Amino acid sequence: MDVPSTVTTALDDRPVDGRRCLEAGAGVGNTTAGLLDAGASRVYAVTNDREHALTTRERIAGGQDADTDSHPAARDRLAVLHADLRAIPLPEESVDLVTAHGLCNVLDPAALSRIADELQRVAAPGAHLVVDDYAPLPETAAVRDLFAVENAAAELATGRPALTFYPSSFLRDLFAGAGWAFERERTLLEPVPWTESHLSAHADAAASFAADCADDAGAALAARAERLATDIGSESVGRMYSLAFRLAA
Amino acid sequence: METRPLGTTGHDSTVMTFGTIALNWLEQEGANQMVEHVLDYGVNHFDVAPMYGDAELKLGPKLRQHREEIFLGCKTEKRSYEGAWQRLDESLDRLGVEKIDLYQVHGLEYDDELDEITADDGALTAFREAQEQGIIDHIGLTSHSRPDLIVDAIDRIDDLESLMFPLNPVVAGKDDGEHDYEAVLQRANEEDIGTLGIKAFAAGSWPDTEELPERDRPFCNWYRPVCAPDEISERFDFAASQGLTSVVSAGDPKLVTMICEAAADYDGMDEAAQRSLIEGSRHDDSPVPEQLHH
Repeated sequence: MDVPSTVTTALDDRPVDGRRCLEAGAGVGNTTAGLLDAGASRVYAVTNDREHALTTRERIAGGQDADTDSHPAARDRLAVLHADLRAIPLPEESVDLVTAHGLCNVLDPAALSRIADELQRVAAPGAHLVVDDYAPLPETAAVRDLFAVENAAAELATGRPALTFYPSSFLRDLFAGAGWAFERERTLLEPVPWTESHLSAHADAAASFAADCADDAGAALAARAERLATDIGSESVGRMYSLAFRLAA
Repeated sequence: METRPLGTTGHDSTVMTFGTIALNWLEQEGANQMVEHVLDYGVNHFDVAPMYGDAELKLGPKLRQHREEIFLGCKTEKRSYEGAWQRLDESLDRLGVEKIDLYQVHGLEYDDELDEITADDGALTAFREAQEQGIIDHIGLTSHSRPDLIVDAIDRIDDLESLMFPLNPVVAGKDDGEHDYEAVLQRANEEDIGTLGIKAFAAGSWPDTEELPERDRPFCNWYRPVCAPDEISERFDFAASQGLTSVVSAGDPKLVTMICEAAADYDGMDEAAQRSLIEGSRHDDSPVPEQLHH
């Protein structure tokens, strides 16, 4: 399985082998792949995006791995749950490791606060938590303009921003407040490579919000996002960090 | 320029090796200047092969003038005893020198080639005779084929002292065995075998020749190289920080000065920046669609 180095680096000092894991916000299944690869006994990949749920399931089901002496095939250790993270369909104290890889930046503060509580609810005593995200971008970063347009379209369409880059200290304090003891912070990427494919995915996301805008502002924002993605091309800027926490046993 | 021990050879190679195929694209006068230019940066390890057009002939004059300053690696694509001896004699003749410091099996690709070179009438028998006669000093091998084949070669060739193989962020971002040159590097380091990295500056393949005919390519490299100074520098830093002995410069003479500058300035690369390059390349040709995150 093709596991990003950000994921392997975030997990390499955490106990995964034989553990029940929750990937909060599965995206395209990058962390799910990493957890299964590292020997998780069970991975619950939770996402509220139907496409993401399908992509994650197909990606793992399409893998070449088979049962081994130590682990069943990855697809047999995976449960993809199409659900809202504010109401995770798992009982209390049911997972040993929770990952939120690139999750918090797509949550506004209200959702983030509720999800932080919910992650704590499903975590077993002694459970680990890994939170990987982006530090706020420097003022000079060109990609800020694209993300600003994406956020403007999202605010007009939904009343919420699409992206919020929280400082690591903010998330550290938030999860500490939810009962997690902070263990460590490391840098996953510096600079962060915003490639053409990332920028075009963000331009597409902006266009998709723009389509739901009430007046003709949407068309202007979609065009602006596409032009910015083309003009910027790619940019390496900013920092992606990894925080690790643990619940008291 | 930083130097590192090349395995058990006793030679400390500069962190940049000059890939002299670049000389093939220059007239003799330009080739002479290029060698002087590279030596001015302190580069002490040169690599050549008979298959690089006129590179041996064009390297000859300045190599003879500066023989003591240059650790010379050469190669043979021949797999048989006679073939290897013949190529070695021809290379000595074309280079105009008495001795080659490192003689390498060039471009090992298939299992049966490994059988052939290690057989009694294989190329390595010729290498060892030449070594006894003082014509070559050390034995190496180059390959951009399967990593597992290179590991087999380590197992089967006891007197192997150097390996040359690809290493760059594109390769490092691929998890499959077909691209696991990191395993080769790790094994080589365990066995104290010197390691020379190629394709450090590769950005990708050239477009199809229907789309871009070979004569219209802007660089003479086998692959499409990165070419902006900061990209060259990042790629050099990445390769040099993986644990290789030395990074071989790209084949196009237009890139050589930038690579010398990068090598002269090299002072390590932190892991977050290495991952940044891996992730940047991984997303360029990822089969997974629509990724907003890393």
